[in-house]
Amino acid sequence: MYKYVLRRAVLAVPVLLLSSVIVFGLMRVMPGDALVALMGESGNIGERELAKLRKDLRLDLPYHEQYALWVWQMVTLRPGDSLFTGEPITTSLKKAIPVTLELAALAMVLGIVIAVPIGVLSATRQDTPSDYVGRVVAVSGLSLPDFWLGTLVITFAAIWFHWIPPIGYVSLWDAPWRNLQQFLLPAAVLGYRLAAATMRMTRSTVLEVLREDYVRTAWAKGLEGRIVVYKHALKNALIPVVTIIGGQLGVLLAGTVVVETIFALPGMGRLTVEAILFRDYPVVQTNVMLVAGTLVTLNLLVDLSYAWLDPRIRYR
Amino acid sequence: MATVTARPAALEEVPASAVEISRTRALWHALRRQPLGAASAALIALIVLTAIFADVLSPYDPLETRPEIRLAQPSWEHPFGTDDIGRDVFSRIIHGSRISLWVGLLAVGIGTAAGMVIGLLCGYCEGRLDLIFQRVMDAIQAIPALVLALAIVSVLKPSTTNAMIAIAIVIIPGNSRIVRGAVMSAKQNRYVEAAQAIGCQHPRIILSHILPNVTAPILIIASIWLGNAILIEATLSFLGVGTQPPTPSWGLMLSSTGRAFMEQAPWLAIFPGLAISLAVLGFNLFGDTLRDAWDPRLRNTR
Repeated sequence: MYKYVLRRAVLAVPVLLLSSVIVFGLMRVMPGDALVALMGESGNIGERELAKLRKDLRLDLPYHEQYALWVWQMVTLRPGDSLFTGEPITTSLKKAIPVTLELAALAMVLGIVIAVPIGVLSATRQDTPSDYVGRVVAVSGLSLPDFWLGTLVITFAAIWFHWIPPIGYVSLWDAPWRNLQQFLLPAAVLGYRLAAATMRMTRSTVLEVLREDYVRTAWAKGLEGRIVVYKHALKNALIPVVTIIGGQLGVLLAGTVVVETIFALPGMGRLTVEAILFRDYPVVQTNVMLVAGTLVTLNLLVDLSYAWLDPRIRYR
Repeated sequence: MATVTARPAALEEVPASAVEISRTRALWHALRRQPLGAASAALIALIVLTAIFADVLSPYDPLETRPEIRLAQPSWEHPFGTDDIGRDVFSRIIHGSRISLWVGLLAVGIGTAAGMVIGLLCGYCEGRLDLIFQRVMDAIQAIPALVLALAIVSVLKPSTTNAMIAIAIVIIPGNSRIVRGAVMSAKQNRYVEAAQAIGCQHPRIILSHILPNVTAPILIIASIWLGNAILIEATLSFLGVGTQPPTPSWGLMLSSTGRAFMEQAPWLAIFPGLAISLAVLGFNLFGDTLRDAWDPRLRNTR
C-alpha cells in the first residue's frame, strides 16, 4: 500500500513538470509583452526604467533560466508578486483559496446528496415515470450551461422573491449566515452539473448490481428492500460512481471559474480569469499549476478510496 | 497459390461491410425503440437545417439595428423580441446556430483526427513513443479543460477560430486514450498477427486491419464531444474570449446584452440560453443512443 502510494507520487512528478512546461510555454508566446500592457497603464516611461523593470521581473533572463527560476519559486512556495497589483501571489491566494474550497465543497455535498438517492430511485424503478423524470433532469443538468443557469437564478430570485445575495464577500467564520446566503445559490448551480453526471452513473451501476446473484440471494432471504438496495447493492455500485465524481473534479474546478464570475465571489477562478485577461502571467502560472497539482493529488486519493470501498482490491 | 493469397482478402471484405450494415441497423433499431433517441436525432436535424438555411429562415438581417424599437417585447413581428440596439433576437439566434455548429464540428473534427492519429500510433507501437505521448496527454489533462482553453485563447487572441483551436486541443488527450485502448485490444486479434506474419507493411495493417475496429468508439466519443464543444464555445464567448461582437453567437448574446438587461428584458438571456441547452441536449442524447446501440462498454468514459 505505502509502496503503491509512493510509486504513484513519484509518477506524478514528471506529469506535473510537463504541465508546468506547457503552462510556462503558453504564457511566453502570449502576444503583447506583459510589460507593454503594464506601461500602457502607467503612462510614459523611459527606456531606462523599462529595462530596470524587465530586470526586476527577471524578463531579461533566457527562457530556460526563467523557467528554472519559476520552478524553484514554486517548490519553495514563493511564487513572487502579481505584475498588476504588485501584491505577493501568496497573499492573494490566501484570500482566494478558501472561497473556492468552500464553493467546491458545498457544491460537491449538494450534488452527491441529491444525485445518489435519485440515481438509486431511478434504478430501482426502472422505466417508470419517476425514472424518466430522473433521467431527463440528469441529462438536462449536463446540457444547461452553468452561466445561463446562474444568470437565470440570480435574476428570478431578484424578480420573484426580491432577494439579492448580500454583496461583498464575508468569510464563513466572521458571519456564517451571511456567508451561506452568498454561497448557497452558486453552490447549487455548480452542484447540479455534478449531480447530473453522478446520477446517471449511480443509476446504471445500481441497475447492473441489482442483477447480481448475491442480490437475488439477499431478496430470497427475505431481507427488507431498503437493506438490500442500500447495504448490499449500493456499496458495490459506488466504485464507478466515485470514479465519475473524481473525474468531475476538473469540471467542478473549471465551473468555479464561471460561477465565481457571475456571482461575484473573489475565488481562484475569478482571480485566474482576470489574470488571463490582464496577461498577469506570474499569477496565471501559479494558479494553473496549483489547480493541476490539486487535481493530480485528488485523483490519487480517488484511486486509493477504491480499496476502502471494495476490500478485494489490493494495491501493490 | 494465387487462390490461397486471394482468399483472406476476400474474407476480410465480407465482415467489414457486414459490420457497416449491422451498425446502421443497430442505430436505426435504437432510434426506433428509444423515443429520446429519435427526439435527439430530430433536434439535431432541426439545428443543422436551421444553420444551412439561416439566410432564408431569418425574418430580418441579424446585424440590422433599429434603435427606435430597442428592447421590444416578444411579438408577432419579433417572436423573441429585440435587443438593446433593436436587432431581431430571433434572427440572431438562427444565425448563431452557424457559429455553434461550425465551431463544434471543426473543433471535434480536428481534435478527433489528431487524437486518433496519436492513439493509433501509441497503441500500435507501444514502447517509448507510447510512454512519452501518454505522459504529455496526462500533463494536458491535469489542467481543467476550460482553464486550458481560456489560457490558449488568450494567448492566440480572442476569436471564433482560436476558440475552435483551443477546444480541439482540449479534446485530443481523452480521444487519444480511448483510441489507444481500442487499438491495443484490436491488436490481440489473430488476423492482425496473421497480417504481420505474411509481411504486411505497418501502415497497411493499421489502416485496413486495426482502424475498422476503432471507428465505433471514435464516432461515439465525437458525438458526445460535439455537445461539449458547443458548450465550451458558448462559455468562452460568454467570458469574452470567444466570438467577438457583432457576430451573433449564443454565448456572446447571453453575456453582452443578456445579463445587462436581464431584469428589463429577460428574453435577451432566456432565448440564447435555451438555444445552447437544446443543441447540447440534442448531441448528448444522440451520443447516448449511439453508445447504447454500438458499444455499451464505453459507459464509463464520461
